[in-house]
Amino acid sequence: MIDTFRTIQSQLDATPHLQRLGRLFSETVLIEVGGAEYYLTFEKGRIVSVTEGPSRKTPWRFALRTDAEALAQFWQARPAPGFHDIFGLVKIGRGRIDGDILSLVKTLRFFKEVLTLARAKEEQAA
Amino acid sequence: MTIEPITGRYLTVTVGGAPRRIYFEEAGQGRPVLCLHTAGADTRQWRHLMNDAGITASNRLIAFDMPWHGKSLPPEGFETQEYLLTTEAYIETVLAVIDGLGLDRPILAGCSMGGRIALQLAALHGHKFSGFIAIEASDFQPAWYDIDWFHRPDAHGGEMGAALVSANISPFAPEAERWNTLWMFMQSGPGVFRGDLSFYTKDDSLIARLPTIDTRKTPVHILVGAYDLTCTPEDARRTAAAIPGATLAVMEELGHFPMSEHPEGFRPFFVEALGKMPQPAARAA
Repeated sequence: MIDTFRTIQSQLDATPHLQRLGRLFSETVLIEVGGAEYYLTFEKGRIVSVTEGPSRKTPWRFALRTDAEALAQFWQARPAPGFHDIFGLVKIGRGRIDGDILSLVKTLRFFKEVLTLARAKEEQAA
Repeated sequence: MTIEPITGRYLTVTVGGAPRRIYFEEAGQGRPVLCLHTAGADTRQWRHLMNDAGITASNRLIAFDMPWHGKSLPPEGFETQEYLLTTEAYIETVLAVIDGLGLDRPILAGCSMGGRIALQLAALHGHKFSGFIAIEASDFQPAWYDIDWFHRPDAHGGEMGAALVSANISPFAPEAERWNTLWMFMQSGPGVFRGDLSFYTKDDSLIARLPTIDTRKTPVHILVGAYDLTCTPEDARRTAAAIPGATLAVMEELGHFPMSEHPEGFRPFFVEALGKMPQPAARAA
């Protein structure tokens, strides 16, 4: 799982328009996957560190909590209904978002698109 | 260079005792089909169908921007008002446009909140229409998000709204049309999407009215996309089941804005829906 988040980190480094969208976002986000914790620390639209928990000392701004199977489906090129968006995961009971929701709201497009950077490409969907 | 067959004009009608300057577009000839856009958007959602010669050869498609949306201005004094759409004001607006344009029993095609009001009109004013195509339409669902996030000074409602409703677009939608669809939400005036959603997520009066819809006089066909998180296929099935004689089609590869997000994928479903509506000769009989 941590390799996937590191892939997202490097993909973001290669995606200037997302860095521009996230230029005001410098926060740590917790992604909890089946109880395992991953902390993504953003600095001005880039991910500067990906660390695996558990950690009681790492403050985070907001969290997405889901499971590995749901994320695997989320990262398909054309996910099934409900698995196609983080709010879909929430709606079908496979995800939960908590913490400072205003921070998420302010950076929603950026954060959602960063998470999809690990999505399989269209040609692999067939 | 291309010039599209869509033409746009304005009409002024009275709603709630005050004038509303309303922008409308039309294309085609034949039986009138009045098209209602979703919350937080405008007539541009219908442009693909309005530019479709195969459809406009025998159908006169008309779409209008609700007040506060697109090129229709908000009413005078809006700067001190909180925009909150109501079922009553929405119905009055649609009927005023029909009267103002002199439409004779049009087919009503509405999506999302437009589908909701189409079903309200089917129940309360069915005789003024010849049939209903209710897209992403359901009896009622409470909000699965806090609608106040869409209108606050410390977050951009348009950018946030677009980022949220992208959850309702199918991954099968072409990228260009996904973003054209989202652009309308990005452009929406402050508080407008929230005010639309207030109507959509708080008024459950349709539930009790659904069994009174007479589909022998005015057929009701409901269309729903499998990727719609707001009006799910389950919501649409429940709604169709409550309307005696209503028909339903589930569009497996589409989301909440089918005519806008994936015009090619939606076309056959819309053509099928039009086929279920009375033909002009039958209407005249």
